[in-house]
Amino acid sequence: MISDANAFPDGQAWSADVCIVGSGAAGIAMALELAGSGLDVLVLEAGGEGRHPEDQAFYEGTVADERLHSPPDRYRQRRFGGTTTIWGGRCMPFDAIDFEQRDHVPHSGWPIGLEALLPYYPKANRLCEAGEYAYTSGTAFDRPLRPMIDGFAPAHFTTDTLERFSCPTDFGARYAHKLRAATNVRVVLNAIVTGLHVGPSGRAIASLTVRTREGKTFHVRADRIVLATGGLEVARLLLASRDEMPMGIGNQHDVVGRYYMCHIAGLIGTIAFDGPLDRMWHGYDVADDGVYCRRRIALTAATQATEGLANFIARLHHPRITDPAHRTGMLSLLNLARLFIPYEYGKRLHGEQHTSLASWLLHVRNVVLDPFATIGFLWHWLHKRTLAERKYPSVIVHPKASRYSLDFHAEQLPNPASRVTLGTERDAFGMPRLHVDWRYLPADVTSLQRTLALFQDDLRQSGVGRFDYDPATVEFEMTRFGAYGGHHIGTARMGSDPRTSVVDADCKVHGIDNLFIASSAVFPTSSQANPTLTIVAIALRLADHVGRLAASERLATTNAAASVTSEPSEVHEVHDGSAVDDDRLAEAR
Amino acid sequence: MTRLRIAVLGGDGFVGGAMVRALAASDWAVPVVVGRRRVAATASGVERIQADASDATALTSALVNIDGVINCVLGKGETIAKNADALFGIAGTRPGMRIVHTSSMAVYGAAVGDVDEDTPLAGNDWYSIAKVEAERSAARCGNVAILRPGIVYGPAGPQWSVRIAEWLTSHRIGDLGAAGDGYCNLVHVDDVAEAALLALRKPDAGGQAYNLSMADPPTWNAYFERYAKRLGAVPITRISARRLRIETKLVGPPLKVLELVGRRLHLSTSGLPQAIPSSLLTLWRHEIRLTTQKAEQELGVRFKPLDEGLRETATAFLAAAKTGLRS
Repeated sequence: MISDANAFPDGQAWSADVCIVGSGAAGIAMALELAGSGLDVLVLEAGGEGRHPEDQAFYEGTVADERLHSPPDRYRQRRFGGTTTIWGGRCMPFDAIDFEQRDHVPHSGWPIGLEALLPYYPKANRLCEAGEYAYTSGTAFDRPLRPMIDGFAPAHFTTDTLERFSCPTDFGARYAHKLRAATNVRVVLNAIVTGLHVGPSGRAIASLTVRTREGKTFHVRADRIVLATGGLEVARLLLASRDEMPMGIGNQHDVVGRYYMCHIAGLIGTIAFDGPLDRMWHGYDVADDGVYCRRRIALTAATQATEGLANFIARLHHPRITDPAHRTGMLSLLNLARLFIPYEYGKRLHGEQHTSLASWLLHVRNVVLDPFATIGFLWHWLHKRTLAERKYPSVIVHPKASRYSLDFHAEQLPNPASRVTLGTERDAFGMPRLHVDWRYLPADVTSLQRTLALFQDDLRQSGVGRFDYDPATVEFEMTRFGAYGGHHIGTARMGSDPRTSVVDADCKVHGIDNLFIASSAVFPTSSQANPTLTIVAIALRLADHVGRLAASERLATTNAAASVTSEPSEVHEVHDGSAVDDDRLAEAR
Repeated sequence: MTRLRIAVLGGDGFVGGAMVRALAASDWAVPVVVGRRRVAATASGVERIQADASDATALTSALVNIDGVINCVLGKGETIAKNADALFGIAGTRPGMRIVHTSSMAVYGAAVGDVDEDTPLAGNDWYSIAKVEAERSAARCGNVAILRPGIVYGPAGPQWSVRIAEWLTSHRIGDLGAAGDGYCNLVHVDDVAEAALLALRKPDAGGQAYNLSMADPPTWNAYFERYAKRLGAVPITRISARRLRIETKLVGPPLKVLELVGRRLHLSTSGLPQAIPSSLLTLWRHEIRLTTQKAEQELGVRFKPLDEGLRETATAFLAAAKTGLRS
């Protein structure tokens, strides 16, 4: 069932076995997994169906350095479906090494390994509509693929792994019909959680305050609460819920909001290949299940370990769009049309300095002199992206000369000084807005520099081409467009030690028995991988865990009841417990 | 040992044909095809009686000296009703004759979730209403076992194998997104035949109903994907909701009219693409799962693994396509 909070009487009390805050990738994945479980599941979504500027305004905040980080209301969506309504769809799992404690990555190490997520990744892949869980060219394709770079035999990298693309699937639109049909799931839209309240024991969330923009207030009690919002909002909700805990919930050791990571990403250098043009293939291969796949240049785990490097992947990329010297009509057309491209996708265009008239004219020249390729591109875009439900993922240009730039996407090292905090500004409900102070470390720069040097060496050693770049520009290029947008990681990190982490291996907040987090906020490290697939896998794992906890409690209750029958002296105690449950159930649903 | 003479009503059809083959292969039965068509020759070991199974008088004559009946008559609502009246009228007068009536999961109408044989019958369109009425007639006889198969597939199955294969290979269907999230309660035609034969020989199957479907059925999307891979119809195409609407609302009706006109004029319509009826959009979204423990435990039916069934189905389709014999 999906309903609107404004349809309920003001002041009503709601109860549930499981209350999920947020209806993005994690929230919907959990709700779907718990559908039919017998548990009463309540999903609270702050936004409504579709995008509303008034809802989006609640995400506004401040950033310490606007050159380094987008405004907090960008790259995230406060609406049913969450940010899956605008995501790019790139999926790949984390690597085994990402979970390890690595001496060269301070604060690294998950309390779980890849094997804990492997049972959930295939289903996560299906939910993301990224097809089979097959992430190497050998497993994803029955047929041999043309080499990505013919003759390239790198010592430190592999070109065998690939990324798969979701449609990209808007989880709200895609799964609304299942949520409507699920008799044990209630999704309530326009239900804004403004605070979590700790009970007298100090070990459990007793209630949540929910408000609507129309002025209604509700109170929610649930056996278990799951924060399934994005990595930024998790920190905000925990930090802003300080009525009973002045430091915020789960923040007794000042960890919430720290270790904030995105990814280290950018374009750099020029790769020139020798030999014929068809020696390279940097485009998409379509798997039998119809999913677009693309191979990458991935730094091997062995090299990361021996060389002490952060995780890293890169793709061959067309020349920089904004520079008309590429003489490619379709790229110039994209540059000229940049004002019509959404911020989240056009940042690499928007972020450039103002285009001069001369540059603008050169782009027009490129379009005019390259009419057939431009028209072909427009037709392909219309047919394969605009009108298609499974969209062609990105602009792929096969250069007229064998010249590419390197599009890199690397792990950002955990850094406690990189953090989000509550700012001085407040939203319409008086809830503090976020202040984002994203920072990187010198080690992020040196790791990237050394990785690029290895790639340069491998390319030269293979004799297939060369990679020209200026090591001195690495830091500039990795921050040219600021932190990689949309990947909000680490603000409520998972770990065994409450002094350095916020949640345990089961995503439960340390010290709070009924509060869980399903979000990229719990990732202690960021990997090379985009986060959504792993967010969904973690959400499915948590749904499994919550379901098992509830089942074992039911069993314990049943056993206790049986024991009561045979031992009258226990009756009073158990009857009290039942009475509490009855009260809870009697509340309006 | 004297073999039992088992009449198969509708034995010329896809499901009836499988019944006939299974009976012929048994060591205890002789199949007797009862159908309206005049056929020059029948397969070895198969008898044939030309009769209209929806005509009570003709059917009464045809069933003289028949020990058991498997009813696989299909058709319009009127045909289903007349056939039921005729057959179950006779059944009432011959309590010793065992009858297996092939009904359909359609009798559950719009029910969702896990559905067992005790779920109330609730027809919601002409076909399911006719099937429900036929079952009610059958239930009045104590000697009729009812089979409720799901989506019957298998080599040369016109509805759920050949037609689907044609749509998949022409990429008119594929990955349907939310429109293909319903469960596809597949059952191989050989399993339906096996169930019918087991029900015939089980003394207390009369008066019982049995769901027939593979355990843990795939979604329609998953069925299309696995079948398309077997057919080599890859990469699978994502079909947008918009395109499905165009197929069923704009393209479908004119195609159906052309097909009907062609038939009326005795013109071949084999080159004409089959319309995708809009009723399938409802079916492909329908989240109903047949529970089949009763058939497995009481009849002893073992359902064929989907991969094995799809392999032989796709092989048959491709072979027929190669020789130009397809539909």
